Formats: sequence, structure tokens, C-alpha cells
Amino acid sequence: MPEGRKAINAKQQTEDLPVCRPGLRFPFHLPFYDSRFTWQNGRQMIKQRRVVVTGLGAVTSIGSNVPEFWAGLLAGRCGIGPVSLFDASPYRTQTAAEVRDIPDAFLTPAQKRRMSRADRMGLAAAAEAVEQSGLDLSRENPSRIGVVLGGGTSGLLDSEDFFFRYLHGQAARPSRVLNHMPDAITDRVAQHFGVEGIKSTITTACSSSANAMGYAHDAIAAGWADVVLTGGSDVLARLTYGGFNSLRSVDPGPCRPFDRERKGLSIGEAAGILVFEERERARRRGAPIFAEFLGYGVTSDAFHMTAPDPSGSAGGRTIQAALACSGLDAADVDYVNAHGTATPQNDSAETAAIKTALGSRAREIPVSSIKSMIGHCLCASGAIEGVATVLTLRDQLVPPTIHYENADPACDLDYVPNASREAEIDVAISNSFAFGGNSSVVVFANANR
Amino acid sequence: MAFHGFVTGTGAVSPLGRTAPEFARRLFAGETAIRPLTREERDGLQATHVARCDGFTPQPEIPPMKARRFDRGSQFAIIACAQAIAEAGYDVEQAPQQIGIALGTGSAGAGALTEFLRVLLVESPEAAPPFHFPNTVANAPASQVSIELKLLGPNVTITQKDPSALNALLYSSIALSSGRARAMLAGGVDEWNPYYALGFDRVGALRGQNRATGIVQGEGGFAVLLETRENVERRGARPLAVVSGLAMAGAPSEPYRFNPDRRAIERAVRGALEDAALSPGQIDLVLPSRNGVAEMDCAEEDVLADVFAGPPRSVSVKDAIGEMAASGGGQIVAACRAVAFRDGPLASGSRPRRVLIDSFGAGGNFLAAVVESAEAAA
Repeated sequence: MPEGRKAINAKQQTEDLPVCRPGLRFPFHLPFYDSRFTWQNGRQMIKQRRVVVTGLGAVTSIGSNVPEFWAGLLAGRCGIGPVSLFDASPYRTQTAAEVRDIPDAFLTPAQKRRMSRADRMGLAAAAEAVEQSGLDLSRENPSRIGVVLGGGTSGLLDSEDFFFRYLHGQAARPSRVLNHMPDAITDRVAQHFGVEGIKSTITTACSSSANAMGYAHDAIAAGWADVVLTGGSDVLARLTYGGFNSLRSVDPGPCRPFDRERKGLSIGEAAGILVFEERERARRRGAPIFAEFLGYGVTSDAFHMTAPDPSGSAGGRTIQAALACSGLDAADVDYVNAHGTATPQNDSAETAAIKTALGSRAREIPVSSIKSMIGHCLCASGAIEGVATVLTLRDQLVPPTIHYENADPACDLDYVPNASREAEIDVAISNSFAFGGNSSVVVFANANR
Repeated sequence: MAFHGFVTGTGAVSPLGRTAPEFARRLFAGETAIRPLTREERDGLQATHVARCDGFTPQPEIPPMKARRFDRGSQFAIIACAQAIAEAGYDVEQAPQQIGIALGTGSAGAGALTEFLRVLLVESPEAAPPFHFPNTVANAPASQVSIELKLLGPNVTITQKDPSALNALLYSSIALSSGRARAMLAGGVDEWNPYYALGFDRVGALRGQNRATGIVQGEGGFAVLLETRENVERRGARPLAVVSGLAMAGAPSEPYRFNPDRRAIERAVRGALEDAALSPGQIDLVLPSRNGVAEMDCAEEDVLADVFAGPPRSVSVKDAIGEMAASGGGQIVAACRAVAFRDGPLASGSRPRRVLIDSFGAGGNFLAAVVESAEAAA
């Protein structure tokens, strides 16, 4: 090792050594100085940079801000109804969980014209989250603040209009395709708040925004950013609506997660944004701390592009990876915010996965699917379910799985049927599984744990 | 210096060749795969040129019956990743949970998406072919790689404009350093699609008969196997290169506009050098971001002239294979091969020891990386 590097390492070792979080799997193999790492007992370790949630934003079919959304969940309100964004009459089904009101009055008409529906929803949720966090982003170092979102359909609804007109030989406005790429919302959010740090859009289908939260956590923990706006925004589109219908995966009525008579999912749309912040920084500035993001698991099923592993071993492995990353055991888990799509395959496979990972603990804790109320919001589902999980920890109230009437022998856990309930919850996990076997499980804990 | 991982294998399915060695050899020999669009490809476009993997077939790696299940991007990705694994001599089966994948893309799934939508919009939703739908997701190539190669570790796809592949490299670095995996396939994949070309052309992004500035689209799949030091030592593997510097800078911008923000470019370039603990004079080769967007290219030239007293040798990868979200993957592969083998761009018999990669895109996205030879980094 060059002398200069030795000197830097020696300097690093004399710094005030932080206490590393027990249970984390640290990279003992990193031999050189790196400002993101420190030394302890002769081993190089990640500095303790814990990540907390200091702001939440939500735009959903049952509420266009966090208080409305949370009240709707606790009341068991169903946001699934007739599709109005396009003519759904030629499709097998005609229902979805649409957002009826986007609180985007802070945007000018000219700005709105340039944006997709997903952009406007994402910005509205981000504005709520940033306001709640108390951050004045204009006074922060912009290069230390990032945006990491999950993306999917983005401006697809507009692109479909362009494509339809083009295919039918009609004049089509090119501006309709400007927001086609999933990363448009990430750039929009960074532009709106003037932030210049790490920027990334994860596109792993239905686990996109769960993975985005995980990446945001890792970016802060590893020192690449101090604050990251994370989550996702995804909207209804003909492609996804037609696609799931073509796979015969959509329930004509509101979806019924874990019910024996479940017939498939209800597609939804939502934006969920969370402000992730390095804990000591958040404490110093007296920020509201809703929860701690302890860690996440990200794995490949390597099984099938659309079908989950029915044994539950793949999903169980992701849950175990998330717990290991967070320094937890199965016994620590108090609540599971389920992926719970209401397809026959997912719900039984997910039940098996939870039992595989949590063992006997699986039967002692509540497991619920808020998709029964807001539908499957695809690339935004991990984010909006993350928001719900944080609120569950804050208020010690578990949202229900509604439309649950018939017990299924293959789904034999406590799904919190039809009514919310109080519970003591210190640690909660939220599952997201996706096309391609892209699985992600995130772990939140009470801030004072 | 920072340590973001050893590169032990490279793979490429590119317009300049179907393997990483062929791609690098032809690139550094000064060849370009950019050619005029055929009449069929050009239908309605003002753009005139493209770089495609002409004559590509997925055989012999993927049997014909199996290949039908994969879209073009997935075929590129599977073959490029298999090449990287093979070159690294990596035994996935030994610890499949410890190897993952992160690919950057801008167009993966485009073929399946446009075909599914075409039938849905022109015929009826009921006629839309269900077998296309799973491949409409951008993560299809990375997921098909995971299924084919039985990788059980982290699996993500990143879309963040032109530097998506470098973004995937950064994700992979963090996945290794946080202990999520011991090895990551990192790179990018894109497929050329006529409808996407139409969209890019109509919004003024492509160079052509009416526009002197703009990109020429490319396609291909690129991957490197990035490993922890511990893993390389345990395997007794020979590293080709070290990724020793990475930096990312943003500049507030409309998502679809190129913002030639010199401050952000400089932050990315100097950030990567600082991360690698190198002075500009220690860089032997630059693979610039240059992609034909005049204002971006000028800004990059200005910044490089400021940073480097005497500019080092420069080879433009995008002048050879076109621009795409995956082109950064091509730059990474090219950099690794340049420092590892003697068929690089410098004078005969000498290899560059340290390479700077620039990758900038629309929406205010700027990334830079430093790749060093294993000996230089020792």
C-alpha cells in the first residue's frame, strides 16, 4: 500500500469511532481509505449512518394527502371504481383505483402542460413530504440531496395517445411522448426542488419503489447523500390495464386479497414519497422523525418471468435477507404489510414465504394488504405501502384487508379482516414482489426503538 | 483511493462485434459501426444514421426454440453476461445468492411494448398477445439473465437517461460494499426500436438531414463482472481492472433537455478523480461522453481542457456504437479491456494504466468513473 494511503488510514483510525449497528454484514474486505468507511478493532467498517424518515407524501384513490389517505385506510375505504381515464368498455374488466384529485395547484398551467399525470402526482406527494420534513431545500447543500424513485408507466398514457393517432394516420403531437421514460419524474422532482445529488430511477416492475427506498437507504448509509427523496409515482395506462387483463389476472370487482374466492388484482395508481435523512443530521435540526428505515432485502427468484415460486422459498429468502441486513430475527417482526395482490398464485406463495421466513412468529402477528383499498399501484406500490407502514408504526394502528370473507386453507395467517386494529408494533416489514422475480422487502422500525 | 470492485470479466454484444475482445479491438482500431438507415428503418424519420447489431442471432448461445421467448434486449443481455461470467471463470452455482445483476437501460422492453400496444390500439384489447406483456417491463433483460444464469442475488434495472449503465455500476459498487453481494454483473442493454426512433426523432433528439446536432442511436448489451477483493482472492482470479473512482452530479433540468452545465460536468469529473485519489496527470486515456449533441460536447471539451493541462488521449465510444442508455456499459467494457490487454489505443506495446469515463445525459444527469489496471491500483 502506498505510504500516502497508509497515512490516511492511520488518520482515519484515530477519528471518533462510531458504534456500528449490531448484526449488519459489514464489508471487511475493503482495504483502502474511503471517506465512507472507518476502522474498528482493526477492521474497516461502514460508519454508522442510520437512516430515518422525516417526511411523507401520498396521492391515492382514497385520499390526496397523507391524513386523508391514512384516515381512508383505517376506515377501510375502498377506492376501486369505474375507469374514467380511458374507455375501458373493450376490456374484460372496467374497474380500477383511480386518483380523482391531484393537489398540484402550486404548479403553473404551463408547467402542468409539460408534465405527465405521473409527474404531477409525484410532485404533489414530494411537495407534501418536503413540507412535512421541515427542510428548506433552498438553504441546503444541493449536492448532498438526492432523488431515487421507482418508475414504470410514467408518461405512457400520453404516449399511447400519440401512438394511437400515429397508427391511425392522424396528426400526433410529439410533445405527447416527451415524458415517456420512467426517469422523467425523478428529473422533475430534482428540478422542482433544485437538488443536485445522487439521482436514480429503479425499474423493477412492481418492486421498483421498494427497491428505490432500499437504494436510497444504502446511498445515505454509504455516505453518497445526506437526504434522499424516495418512493415512486405510477399511473393507470392502457398497456398495464390491457396486459393484466390479457393474463386474466384482474378481478372484475374490487380485489379480495387472501380470500378463498379471490380472482385477481385491481389495478391502481398512486404516488408515495418519503424523505430519508441521515439520523444524526435529522436529530440536530429537530426534524420530525416518523420511523427508522433499518434495511432491505433485494433478490432474484430466478424462477419465472410472471409466476411466483409457489413454495415460498424465494420470497422467504428475501424476507430473511431484509432481516439480516437490519440485524433482526424473525421474532422481532411485529407486522407484515403484504404484497397481497389477490391473485391466486401470489397470495398463497406469499403466505408460504412469510411462514418460511418467520416460522412460528408468522401466526402471531398481523399481516394485511392495503391493495384491497387502493389497488395494485404497480411501480408505486412499494412506496405507498411504505408510507402506510410508517404510519402504522407511528400510530400503532394496523390497516385492514377489506373484502375478506372466506378463509382459504392456503392462506392461513391473520390478515386483519375488514377492520383496522390497535397493536404494539416496533418493527414492520413491507413485501414487494414483481415480474421477473424481482423481490424486495423493506424494514421499518419505531424511531425510538 | 476508493475501491468499487475488481472487474474480472467482460461481455459485449455490440454493433462493433459480438464479443468484448472484438468490440474493443475494432473500437481502438478506429472503426465505427454507424451506418445510414435502411429505407425500411428510415420510414418517416429525418434521422439518417444508426448503429445496430446487424446480423445478430442469439445462436449458438441460446437455442432457437428458447430464443423465441426472449426479446432482442434480453438476448443481448443474456449473451453479454454469460461472456463476462465465462471470462471471469466464475462458478455461479457455488454461491448463487452472492451474485446479482444491475443493468442500465432506456429502451428494454420496447419491442414487446410497442407490439402489444399496436395490437391493443389497432385491433382490440382482447387481441393483444399475452406472451408479450411480461417482456414489456424494462427489467425483463436483467430478470431473464437471472433466470438463465440462476443468479439469486440483487437484481435491479436502472433507467436514468444516457448514463444509466454507469448508474448501474454505482449501484453495483454499493451492493458490494454493503455486503449484499460478492459479485455483481453491471452494465447496460438497449434495443433499437422503430417507434422509439420515431418518438426521439419527432422531439428533436436525433441528428439527421434537418438537424446537425443530436445523437445517433445505437443498441447492444454490455456487462462486466464486478467482484469484491475478498472474493477475487478466494477464487484466485486474475482481475482485469479496478473501478477506483465514481462520481455523480445533477443539474436541475427538464427531463428531456440537455443541460450543458459546466459546473455539474466538472463536479462529476473532478469527483471521480478525487474518489480515485488521482491527479488529472495520472489519467492516460479518456472515454468522453461525446455523443453529437453540440452544446453538451462543447461543454465537456471545455471542462476537460480546464481539468487536464495537457489533454490525454481520447477515444469516443459513442462515435463508434451510437448513443443509448447502455453506451456507458460499452465505455466500461472498453476501459477494462484497454487497461488489461495490449490491443488498446495507445502506442504499440503500451497500455493505458488509468482511464476516465464520462457519461452525461439529458435531464441533468452526469456521471464519471475511473478504471485502473490491477497493477496500477495495487
